[in-house]
Amino acid sequence: MNKKFYWLLAVTIIAAFTLTACGAPATEAPAEAPVEEVEEVEEVEEEGPCLIIGATYGGPINDAGYNQAFHESVMKIKENIDCVEIIEAENVYDEAGATTTIEQMIQQGAGMIIATAFSHQDPAYELATKYPDVIFEHAGGWLMGANFANFYGKPPDVWYAQGVAAGLMTKTNRLGFVAAFPLGWTLTFANAFNLGAKSVNPDVVTEVKFTYAWGDSTKEAEVTNALINAGADVITMHVDSPATVLSTAESRGVYSIGFQNTAAQQFAPKYWIVGSGFTLGDKLTWLASTVIDGTWTPIFLRCSLKEGCMELSDFGPEVPQEVQDQVLQTVDDLDAGTIVAFAGPIKDQDGNVVVADGEVLTDDLMSNVDWMVEGMIGSPK
Amino acid sequence: MNLLSLLGILSSAIYSGTSLLYTALGEVIHERAGMVNLGLEGVLLVSAASGFAITVQSGNPYLGVLVSVIAGALLNMVFGYLTVIRKANQLASGLAIMFFGFGLSALIGNPYVGKSIHALPRFELPGLAHLPTLTASLFRFDLLIFLVIPTAVIVWFLLFRTRWGLGLRAVGENANIAYASGRNPLLIQFQALLVGGMLAGLGAAHIAIAYAMNWTEYMTGGRGFIAVALVIFSRWHPIRAIVGALLFSASVAVQLVLQNSGINISPFLLDCFPYIITLLVLIAWGGTKKQQAPASLGRVFQGTK
Repeated sequence: MNKKFYWLLAVTIIAAFTLTACGAPATEAPAEAPVEEVEEVEEVEEEGPCLIIGATYGGPINDAGYNQAFHESVMKIKENIDCVEIIEAENVYDEAGATTTIEQMIQQGAGMIIATAFSHQDPAYELATKYPDVIFEHAGGWLMGANFANFYGKPPDVWYAQGVAAGLMTKTNRLGFVAAFPLGWTLTFANAFNLGAKSVNPDVVTEVKFTYAWGDSTKEAEVTNALINAGADVITMHVDSPATVLSTAESRGVYSIGFQNTAAQQFAPKYWIVGSGFTLGDKLTWLASTVIDGTWTPIFLRCSLKEGCMELSDFGPEVPQEVQDQVLQTVDDLDAGTIVAFAGPIKDQDGNVVVADGEVLTDDLMSNVDWMVEGMIGSPK
Repeated sequence: MNLLSLLGILSSAIYSGTSLLYTALGEVIHERAGMVNLGLEGVLLVSAASGFAITVQSGNPYLGVLVSVIAGALLNMVFGYLTVIRKANQLASGLAIMFFGFGLSALIGNPYVGKSIHALPRFELPGLAHLPTLTASLFRFDLLIFLVIPTAVIVWFLLFRTRWGLGLRAVGENANIAYASGRNPLLIQFQALLVGGMLAGLGAAHIAIAYAMNWTEYMTGGRGFIAVALVIFSRWHPIRAIVGALLFSASVAVQLVLQNSGINISPFLLDCFPYIITLLVLIAWGGTKKQQAPASLGRVFQGTK
């Protein structure tokens, strides 16, 4: 009896592991409808694709959030350059999964890998040394190599502008930020948001609370409620999918600001202020074209709203015209450089100067931020 | 900490405790009939995914709840087939159902990730109209919340005040004797699983359609296991489960309120609070004869020759 039980248990567990192991196969993207204009590259059509691109995502590609935004950007390459073939793998959660998935893609002939998840940076970087002929592009990291580069938008500027919107809309002078983990980028976003809000409303306080998960929906609902109960009347988020946070804010009747993907607006039809998303399609198309014609070089690519790498959504129905104008003006000023989001002097919560007077927080430091701006509520460690 | 935060903890406890309580009530019924279903996590996920999918498709959250209930019952029937008809080991079958549920729910839910739904409508409590909107919005509850306590009372009544409940508990204590006294243990265990699966379906529906208003993979985040712990905590009693559900879910809400209050308690420690108090309950009442686990819990009734 007992022996039988352990046998069964062993078989069950082995079966389960086998099943989960093949849970995220690399699926080929369906062929898109033929596109009329082919940019940059022509007549390489004859035999097979001119370049196979493998793209990995840390979550589902239809999450109305980060993964969907990057999926759409990658598919834009196919739209613009007809002869490329795209292999995609979604729900690649961990580093081990990323390593095997990317290797499989290279076995299938991928000449360019686009790794979009934060956790895919290290595995991709290791594989880059193993496969020197394959070009690796990673989203939002900092590592660089001979055949490994990083690309991303400039979210801090957008967050600053969103902070301006929040600072003008709040009545309680308290903003709530739902975050997954106290990571460098997340803190940078929250800091920029707070600085933007402060620039138009000195009494504003931003509170940051963490769910300690990228996609735990019930936790997100609870965190959102806790922020609202502490007095916040504008809610924004940096978790994978905006769905739960924005739906919850809407159900409580407080304003919200979206991130990752402008599709977030659907979750808050009434109390939406504004939101932003990644639209990296054109830059990725350009990168792919340089891979095809052999002129690719590793560049640390960061590009802004004005350059088309991010987009601002429509404003919500409750946002007055003056607020809209001021937000758009801020976007212009940030782009022109007359406003710099992280211009010194900036002090952290303990009063230490983290950006000295006359200095600016540089891009490469932003990913390693471990402080919050003076006056913010939250624990950055 | 202000009044709104304190009321917020209560509100969060009620909201997230509801799904926990439904699921635990289902497990109380199985376990009283001698069946321990460790596959609850999988049952919850499949129910949540199916209910959410139908809500997106039809636009009607109540239809989604119905489908969740049916899905929960169906998956429990699979468990019943394994353990009651095929006499398979309950723990192994439960784990198999759990892993099966992980995969199946991901498959069902995948096209519906990131879709917005009409959530289960919330109703104002009478007499709260004069409160500030934010406070009042804390206590706007949906139908499933209003029904959860009555459901617990009904489960208690069924188990302890009806002949069916007596037979069910008899099967859980000793299926052979129940059989000898003219009950059909197999039928009763199937009935228990059917009702239990439906209750788990209600819990799952509340997570996906009412509270999170979203589907993500593994979104139940271990609530199936917390429900099993809750059953042990409440010592197989539906009314004590109400207290347990509130206590377990309040611990999460308290952690979130404390997060920025200067009191530094690790969120990971508070997350295992339900299991810690379950351990304490086991230590405190472990050896006492009264209110123990059903005597043949987990034992497969082999029939009589």
